[in-house]
Amino acid sequence: MSKQDVSSRQQTFSLWQQTSLITSTLIGVGVLTLPRTTSNILFEAGWMSPLFGSVVAFLSIWMIATLSRRFPGMTFIEYSPIIWGSKKWPQLGKWLSLPWILSFLLYMYASTAIVSRIFGEVVVTSVLLDTPLEVVIISMFLLAFILCLHDLEVVARVNELLFPMILFPVLFIALASFQKAEWNNMLPLLRVPGKSLIQGAYESFYSFSGFEIMLIFFAYAHENKSKVRAGFYGIAIAMVVYTLIVVAGIVVFGYEELQRVAWPTLELVKTTQVPGLILERLESAFLAVWVAAVFTTVANAYYAVVYGLRQLFNKGIVFQRILSAILFIPLFYIALWPQNIVDIFRVSSYLGLVSLSLNIGVPFLYLFLIFARGLGRSQKERKADG
Amino acid sequence: MSQFWKAWQKRKEAIQTQTLNQHANKSMESVSDVTLTPDLKENLSLIEHQLGKCDDLVVRRFRIKTGEDAAIIFLDGMVDRNVISDYIIRYMTTPGITYEDPATNELESTDRLRQVVRNILSGTAVLIIDGKRKAFLNNTRGWERRGVEEPQTESVVRGPRDGFCETLCVNAALVRFRLKDPNLRVRHLVVGQRTQTDIYVMYIEGLAHPPLVEEILQRIEKINVDSILESGYIEQMIQDRRWSPFPQIQNTERPDKVVANLLEGKIAILVDGTPFGLIAPALFSQFYQSPEDYYERFYIATLIRLIRIISITIALLLPSLYISFSAFHPEMIPSRLVIAMAAGRSTVPFPSLVEAMFMEVAIEILREASVRLPGPIGPTIGIVGALVVGEAAVTAGLVSPVMVIIVAVTTIGSFASPSYSAAIAIRMLRFPVMILAGMFGLYGIMLFLIVILVHLSSIKSFGVPYMSPLSPLNMKGMLDLFVRAPHHLLKTRPTMFHVHDEVRMREDDKP
Repeated sequence: MSKQDVSSRQQTFSLWQQTSLITSTLIGVGVLTLPRTTSNILFEAGWMSPLFGSVVAFLSIWMIATLSRRFPGMTFIEYSPIIWGSKKWPQLGKWLSLPWILSFLLYMYASTAIVSRIFGEVVVTSVLLDTPLEVVIISMFLLAFILCLHDLEVVARVNELLFPMILFPVLFIALASFQKAEWNNMLPLLRVPGKSLIQGAYESFYSFSGFEIMLIFFAYAHENKSKVRAGFYGIAIAMVVYTLIVVAGIVVFGYEELQRVAWPTLELVKTTQVPGLILERLESAFLAVWVAAVFTTVANAYYAVVYGLRQLFNKGIVFQRILSAILFIPLFYIALWPQNIVDIFRVSSYLGLVSLSLNIGVPFLYLFLIFARGLGRSQKERKADG
Repeated sequence: MSQFWKAWQKRKEAIQTQTLNQHANKSMESVSDVTLTPDLKENLSLIEHQLGKCDDLVVRRFRIKTGEDAAIIFLDGMVDRNVISDYIIRYMTTPGITYEDPATNELESTDRLRQVVRNILSGTAVLIIDGKRKAFLNNTRGWERRGVEEPQTESVVRGPRDGFCETLCVNAALVRFRLKDPNLRVRHLVVGQRTQTDIYVMYIEGLAHPPLVEEILQRIEKINVDSILESGYIEQMIQDRRWSPFPQIQNTERPDKVVANLLEGKIAILVDGTPFGLIAPALFSQFYQSPEDYYERFYIATLIRLIRIISITIALLLPSLYISFSAFHPEMIPSRLVIAMAAGRSTVPFPSLVEAMFMEVAIEILREASVRLPGPIGPTIGIVGALVVGEAAVTAGLVSPVMVIIVAVTTIGSFASPSYSAAIAIRMLRFPVMILAGMFGLYGIMLFLIVILVHLSSIKSFGVPYMSPLSPLNMKGMLDLFVRAPHHLLKTRPTMFHVHDEVRMREDDKP
């Protein structure tokens, strides 16, 4: 690579790229089960759950964006030692921040494994009946590995390209299934106590998690101001998609029936008919296109983990490439850990709890520390032009 | 002070010419770089010694009007003989003419042997006069050349019919003829130690990004190879990603395409001896955009672009879609059709992957053979191959009738791309997708597409992302990506090439 880049300036992420990064990471396997998990608690009002969940998600990404705005051009891994440490003992900050960094990286690492496992289960049970589960998981990992070979800006561009491919099929399915809608299934509008609403918000929060990759990717935002907006747009788009899917699930099946199907969104696809009968059944096509959505979830999170470790050890792209190949081996075993689909759902609900506490707790703690120690203001002034 | 200044200038010039000639001279290192002597015979023997046993080297001795002996040396076939006899020999020997030098339109003189030899090899008639320490280099180049003809690979319905030919100066003139911009710059480089191929790098000053120009010139200068026989050599040696199947530099036979791209701030590279010019940087849009799009009305141009995109998709994916539908997802095909397809496939003994591979390879063989076959036989073989063999294969039960349709549509689809070298990338990638589709069905196709997308996003052609303006997204660029917006909306040039003058059409020029 002796050839030099003509435009030598560091490529940064535009608002649109950040938005597509967030949304395409959020939309993943969560959509496939969302109508069931939400209507489990809220019954007919299941569609409110993504709305409330998004509020929590937005609160969290607002905190992450604010953190990143205090330290422009720095990732979570880079500014953590500054927040925890002092000028006297720079080593102290490093050690004190380590647990938080590692817990985030570990969480993302584990959720990568679980997401690819869930997707593997769906593919194996509904489309490729004779293919071993391991093959599907490994093929997903290979895709993520290929992405990890490239630079950060490639990640943003890939997400940007795949974004419409993720959004259109799910919107199409949601809107097309309204043909068979029984709108009375939505009534009564609200019959559950307020406590269940909070519980429902928690249920849907796991499908919103994934935006924590922005702890790292916000550092490369084109302009400092766009971060909060990008977070807001990203989560808003996901919220619309989720709400539409849950509404579609409820109006087509009714909440009782929804409890009895493992993959309600896939069932929705089966009921959808293409006008003109070019294709008779769509679930294979839908799952094939859905590879893109799962790919962006798995690969973005995995990239964030590998990139975070690369920054932690202060190494270059070669380290990242080797590390991404090595880290797949434990990841594969984590993915195969849960015994069956019930196990997987249990693990993923634990992960939801972890994600809630990490995504709300850690940014809050960091912001609190910044205000308590008065770190933010001086930083802000210094980078006022950014 | 002024003397010092003059000496400084001289030194600077000397360094400049030295660096300029350094590269060009490389292949000429075998020629000893001595100065000429005043003696004619000695000079001639020096030249003849350097060129060895060249039987096409013509040495014509004569006596000029002032009485000195002279000789003119040139290579047979590379010069215009009329010019030599009429304007050099007759002019120099007729006593009435008082003017000393020969009457050729380009006349230089040198005293270096190396330069003399190089000029003889490129078709110059060298005049040496006894008693003078220098040789006159007369530009008499004039070999048999193919005329300007319609381009073979990029024909258009509406648009100019002239294409590049094998002669560099004619090609440059074809560009100049369309672009009478005083800011058009032509930089001359010589690459190839043995072939000494002339290369023109053309760009418009004030439009092209200067670092881009520098980068391209540098990359070409860095080429250290003995021969450049076609612009493809240059293309493959200066591209960013050598292992990529996608062409990162566009090639074209059409001068109007070159001009259109120069006006977008890109850079054209013309190579002597080939009708294919290069345009850099190139984007993915070269796969389906043609200069014709801007000549026709924008509705039809947009529609045709969409057709081309569809046909490229078909060329890439149709056989693999057939494989995955018939082998993995028969439930997706409407039930009546699936019965008909099953009936057609009932006699076929192979899995659909083998069947598709068999037919695709057969069609590739036909295609290659019909290119090589002598003119009048080519189409005949195509018909025999496609119709007779295809029909017979179906009757014999080797392939299903649907497969024949699919192979035919795929092949036709790959011809719809306006750029041949882009289309072969698609043609080639068809085979790995088929194998993946045979392994994983639609899932495999999607895996492959994502890999290709990641690869496409990672390519940069001279610093410009390959998929721009789609990613990074540029809304203005979208007006001229899948659709071709009417000209009055395309007031500015595309921004991704870092053009310095963005305005293409001023507001008040609205019709």
